[in-house]
Amino acid sequence: MKQSRWDALVARQPALFALVLLVSCIVINLILQPNMLARDTLNSNMRVFLPIILMAVGQAIVILGGGIDISVGAVVSIVNTVLATRVGLDGSPEEMWRYVFISLLIGLLAGAINGFFIAYLRLQPIITTYATSFLYAGMALFILPNPGGGIPQEVAALYRNSTPLNLPLAFYVIAAVLLIWLYLSSTRYGNFLYAVGGKAEAAYETAVPVNWVRFSTYLISGLMAAFSGIAITMLSGSGNADIGGPMTLNSITAVVIGGNAFSGGVGGVAGPLMGAITLGIIQNIISFANIDTWWETLVKATIIVMALAAPGIVNLFRRGRP
Amino acid sequence: MAESLSARNIVKRYGGVVALSDGNLDVHAREVVALIGANGSGKSTMSKVINGVVVLDGGQLLLDGQTVHFPSPQAAKNAGIATVFQELSLIPQMTVAENIWLTREPLNSFGQVDRKAVKARTEELLALFEGTYKTGLHPDASIASLPPDEKQIIEILKAISFDPWLVILDEATASLDSRQVNRLFELVTKWKLQGKAIVFVSHRMEEIFRIADKYSVLRNGKSVGAGNIQDINEKQLVKLMIEKESVLGFLRGEAKSEENLEQEIALEVQNLDNDGLRGVNFQIRKGELVGIGGLRGQGQRHLLHSLFGDIPYSGTIKLFNQEVHFKHPRDAMRSGFALVPGDRAKEGLLYIRSILDNLLLPSWRRFGLPLKVAQAKKEATQVGSSLNLKMAGLEEPVSSLSGGNAQKVVIGKWLMRNPQILLLDDPTKGVDVGTKAEFYALLTRLASEEGKTILLYSSDDEELIGLCDRVLVLYDGMIHTELSGNTLTKENLIAASLGASQGGTE
Repeated sequence: MKQSRWDALVARQPALFALVLLVSCIVINLILQPNMLARDTLNSNMRVFLPIILMAVGQAIVILGGGIDISVGAVVSIVNTVLATRVGLDGSPEEMWRYVFISLLIGLLAGAINGFFIAYLRLQPIITTYATSFLYAGMALFILPNPGGGIPQEVAALYRNSTPLNLPLAFYVIAAVLLIWLYLSSTRYGNFLYAVGGKAEAAYETAVPVNWVRFSTYLISGLMAAFSGIAITMLSGSGNADIGGPMTLNSITAVVIGGNAFSGGVGGVAGPLMGAITLGIIQNIISFANIDTWWETLVKATIIVMALAAPGIVNLFRRGRP
Repeated sequence: MAESLSARNIVKRYGGVVALSDGNLDVHAREVVALIGANGSGKSTMSKVINGVVVLDGGQLLLDGQTVHFPSPQAAKNAGIATVFQELSLIPQMTVAENIWLTREPLNSFGQVDRKAVKARTEELLALFEGTYKTGLHPDASIASLPPDEKQIIEILKAISFDPWLVILDEATASLDSRQVNRLFELVTKWKLQGKAIVFVSHRMEEIFRIADKYSVLRNGKSVGAGNIQDINEKQLVKLMIEKESVLGFLRGEAKSEENLEQEIALEVQNLDNDGLRGVNFQIRKGELVGIGGLRGQGQRHLLHSLFGDIPYSGTIKLFNQEVHFKHPRDAMRSGFALVPGDRAKEGLLYIRSILDNLLLPSWRRFGLPLKVAQAKKEATQVGSSLNLKMAGLEEPVSSLSGGNAQKVVIGKWLMRNPQILLLDDPTKGVDVGTKAEFYALLTRLASEEGKTILLYSSDDEELIGLCDRVLVLYDGMIHTELSGNTLTKENLIAASLGASQGGTE
């Protein structure tokens, strides 16, 4: 019953842990790489982090609503293969923007399929999106069985090298995402999201449109995965049906680091966003500290297991006390 | 505002189980209708039909004489029907204000929630119960941090916040203290004058006669009687609710405590202390039925769970003069203890598992490896029939049982171990009158005929007075007073619960 000060603080600011972790990682990275905050270094880092940031934001919203989306990586793969095969290295920028628009529709469609199964047919989110992830990954392989294809050089350069007002392009994207979230969370929809994630049955009895809210979270995550796929295609400049797969676990890790409860209803988007940046920086640190790259997976896995176990461990200690 | 709502010949089935076969209810503006019935009689289903949470399978709803359909809670809400749910409809992770105004948040011109307006209106609502809060309840407090009674108040405020014409109070007083109940009744009287109608669902007779104008009784999913409350008395009402009246008398014989004095002391507790108890001392003799009284949350749960080895404590517990210190419920079970916990859904039963699994849970070891299923079934059937357990079969899940029958399974699973000491935490909470009477007979028999030692906490004062040899009244983690014989009266019990000393001062 009695809440300690720390509990109260964490309850009010679930992203606090993410902020502390992010700042510590930045400090370590700065020691290893003193020019980290120089414009070009910053830009080359942020453009690598952006795809996972976008994906983590979508994942955060699904998890807030009490679900999870394991198919996001496969959506990235579809978008990537569509862009790389339909636009091509010598395609025109107009062609590219047309397919960017189509990619967003693909993301929404993939999300709608997930959402339909989960919200209206009441299937288990984790099982459903695991299954659809194979469906989407299979489609990506069908579109582009072997790595190849590409997008016009000038479009890729736009993504890689734009630094308006000497700030990386990614900063503007992040600011836009945060602003949209800030608005969204202050609307009635924001309340619905927390209510459905918190206790769906009570939300239903209060006349919250529970099915529609659940459905919408998968639409959002599909859309964000498509944005993520567009970003990673512009970063890499080429197509690869396996590109998205490993990103899924990263997006979930980012959300967990960001302080959102796995059970839903607690957290926000700023935390997971910082969590995604933290993951990127950890990767940097590992490469600059000349640590073998297999450590990266181990570190990430340790973080996610620790984050999952932490609430349980805290309870264990509390139980022990009379 | 609407003037009347009628439910006619309502039928509702859940899978194969018929919850309502012929449910009728008439509610008019400016009156309080008490919807009464034993557990499993269909009261909750009836309220869920009216507020659109479940869709009916037959019959019709008439709003001011016109047929209406409520396919969702939203539809009923639009028709001005609000519900105070028994299992609260609050989101624990959200704040008081967010919960009250969910789906009806005042918005500014950008479609954003107007937090200032929300806060101001929440404060207005909170003022309705001003002075009955134990914590400094404020609009930004999170629901999870509130005690049960304040959660219940928030649920009431949430229902009333959109100015409905019909309010369904489903067991809304169950976790409120007497001051809060009084305040609620003052409000109900005010709402009546404003032209609202109220459906009051409760097990507490005293409250029904205090507040209701009309009554409507359900039995086994059928309406069996309705009328003005002045025209009926408590006994007749109970008679309507249960088919057989014979099980009612539960008072033990007068000379109940004398014979016990010759018995040995079964349980002795000295200086029991932990974060809910402050130095508790008492003795119980074999075959005694001792009650624990007091207001909710004064350490009753801590006492029972400490004895059962479930929470750590300091102090001495002696069982038949042998000192014991249980570190785990397993140890307590081996020494012949049994605990019927207060929350049977969470602590007492595995709802989705069968009745057989639940009955066998504490004693499956006895049936060996490989499991002697036939033997186990035979014993489970015996226990079931000795408790008059109404079930479709041992293989049915516990979730198919009504509250009273589910509680019988909790007691039954311990009886299969033949325990010497029974600890019961408010076992008749949310149990219908008929089953209550059966429990009273059972507990009396266990104590006086089979020599079991029973420690019973009950939130129902009548029950403690009628059933127990002695009552230990807990107040603030200590035994405030011990009542027995001539001193065991309702006045003394209430006075002691409120912490008043014999002289009547604090």
